[in-house]
Amino acid sequence: METEARTVDNKEKECSLLVIVLDTNPSQQIIRRDSHHVTQILDSICAFSNAHLMQRPQNKLAVLDCHHHGTEFLYPTPGRPLDIRQVDGQYEVFTLVEKTIKQKLAQIISDAPKMSGPCESLLAGSIAMALSYITRLERNRPLGTRINARILVVTGSNECASQYMTYMNVFFTAQKQNIVLDVCALDKSLTLLQQGCDITGGQYLRLPQLEGLLQYLLWVFLPDPETRLKLVLPPPVKVDYRAACFCHRELIDIGYVCSVCFTVFKSPPPIAGKPKKKKVRQM
Amino acid sequence: MAEEDDGKEYRWETGYEKTWEAIKEDEDGLVDGAIADIIQKGKRKRQAQKKGHSRLGMMRHFYVIVDCSESMTIPDLKPTRIMCTTKLLEMFIEEFFDQNPISQLGVIAMKGKRAEKISEMAGSSRKHIKALSQMSKTQLTGEPSLQNGLELALQTLKMIPSHASREILIIMGSLTTCDPGDINTTIDTLKKEGVRCSVVSLSAEIRICRHLTVETYGLFSAVLDDSHFRDQLMQHIDPPPAAQTQENSLIKMGFPHNQSEETKEPALTMCMCHIDSNDEPSKLTAGGYQCPQCGSKYCELPVSCTSCNLTLVSAPHLARSYHHLFPVNHFREIPYTKQRELCYACQKTFTDLEKNVYQCDLCKQIFCIDCDIFIHDTLHICVGCTTIPMAAQNIHLREPIYKQNSQHSTQ
Repeated sequence: METEARTVDNKEKECSLLVIVLDTNPSQQIIRRDSHHVTQILDSICAFSNAHLMQRPQNKLAVLDCHHHGTEFLYPTPGRPLDIRQVDGQYEVFTLVEKTIKQKLAQIISDAPKMSGPCESLLAGSIAMALSYITRLERNRPLGTRINARILVVTGSNECASQYMTYMNVFFTAQKQNIVLDVCALDKSLTLLQQGCDITGGQYLRLPQLEGLLQYLLWVFLPDPETRLKLVLPPPVKVDYRAACFCHRELIDIGYVCSVCFTVFKSPPPIAGKPKKKKVRQM
Repeated sequence: MAEEDDGKEYRWETGYEKTWEAIKEDEDGLVDGAIADIIQKGKRKRQAQKKGHSRLGMMRHFYVIVDCSESMTIPDLKPTRIMCTTKLLEMFIEEFFDQNPISQLGVIAMKGKRAEKISEMAGSSRKHIKALSQMSKTQLTGEPSLQNGLELALQTLKMIPSHASREILIIMGSLTTCDPGDINTTIDTLKKEGVRCSVVSLSAEIRICRHLTVETYGLFSAVLDDSHFRDQLMQHIDPPPAAQTQENSLIKMGFPHNQSEETKEPALTMCMCHIDSNDEPSKLTAGGYQCPQCGSKYCELPVSCTSCNLTLVSAPHLARSYHHLFPVNHFREIPYTKQRELCYACQKTFTDLEKNVYQCDLCKQIFCIDCDIFIHDTLHICVGCTTIPMAAQNIHLREPIYKQNSQHSTQ
């Protein structure tokens, strides 16, 4: 009995923080195909956020928007929250979340500069921003409480190899801070983000059909990592951790690695790629 | 002598200093804020020093030699020197492998005039931490022998190929060492082999230790208290500049992929890493990583294949080390004059209490001090430069440090 009471007591001091990174870049295939998809995704995200907040009163939420010109917070916004009256007996926080997100997103889209051509979504940077935010909450949390943080990335973009280093730094930081990274791929399958899920112990899901987004979100991503162990979820994907050689960009089994700069070569290369031997400045 | 040449005076040789004037009370008469300020300034200073190495020894072979003599029972570090040392070393080892994933580490204990290996050179933190906790339980007796400790470490380090960086870190509690022969010959050998030796002394500065570090280009420090001790250990986390004796060469490495993806019903196999151990016998499992050269299976990476001696790593392990080559630019400290309302990264609202804010030169975004430290110590990427497309294009132009240096030298 006593131990039971204690666990209940501990549960009250724990809070679950969910940070959603939403990709609204207009270059995405699914949005270009049909712009109504944005509304549908947004509605699903709002419903999902409310479901998360409804689970326990201590739960917290943050939503980031990754647009083609930058990343901004949709919720919570700085300054005074919107003035919300109760509507149809709905819990005020739900109304607040939905109104704030939609209002802020509309503002971002109308303020956005005109796009000259399709451009990549800088998701890795947005995740880095989410990590900084989580770290601040973690730093300022009251003594004796715990924050279980996780990040959910919802995107339909293709990933870009130029962000590889940023992604890796972000994944390892998340792993170190015990932050779980979940990814919901709306369109193409994403190999880099798959690695991130594997490193941090999160769940990766490629959506079979966009219409069922909310159902999939509620099924796979609503339970916290502790509860997931007890559920039947999509099996973990096999992640390919092979390195790509710097000369031909091919995945290799055995390669040659420079001892100074860690450049990977497929076969012993000509000297050109190697940093020249230089006199070392001693202390 | 070298230590007289370096121009650094001892504290008691300098003029009369009013050390207390550095600390100012705030409105409530508390000094906590002032002390936090000093600590943060120290952190920023260390970041600023990070630049300027032309080549780094990123594949490190690192021996920690711990004094386990009677002098480690002294309770000047709480609760005792040895307890404090083991706790901090555990943290150090975790952090070491986190920042240097394909490096190796081993632990040696010095006691009763002898040196013994607590754990062999290996690439996983778990084994070392287990060995350390066992070490702290054993009896601390006799005097340490610095020479025996160094010789034992050297035996292994000698065998390591010349492209790797070889390092020794000594944690010394005793003021004396009891050696079988002339320690100067050992120091000469260490110097010739290019082993970098550093000493952290828990009591006071010892001449022979200072001499050892100066000769081998290591660092020497004597600790003030436990938090200073921690800082002194943590400065060994970042890879040192490559020693002159270190060659650059190409190393053959294997990149195993998960075995079970090939066939639908993977065969049950035993892994090579647990096959010889008695306390954790090898189990028949389906998953694991297969050596691409000889087909032996391992349950974790990075590891060196026991049958064909190929180093097995995964691509993220290599990527983890790249941040040493591409450090984030040092942010500019500017006084806060209400430039922005929010910290760009963590959305903290700046208040009037904020004295200084930090600006990235590339993306011109403004950060609070906590984010500045978080970005440089943990994240290793600037949040502004990676979220704003204009700045993100510049990030590709960022060059590794050895290239920057060569440009300076040609100008």
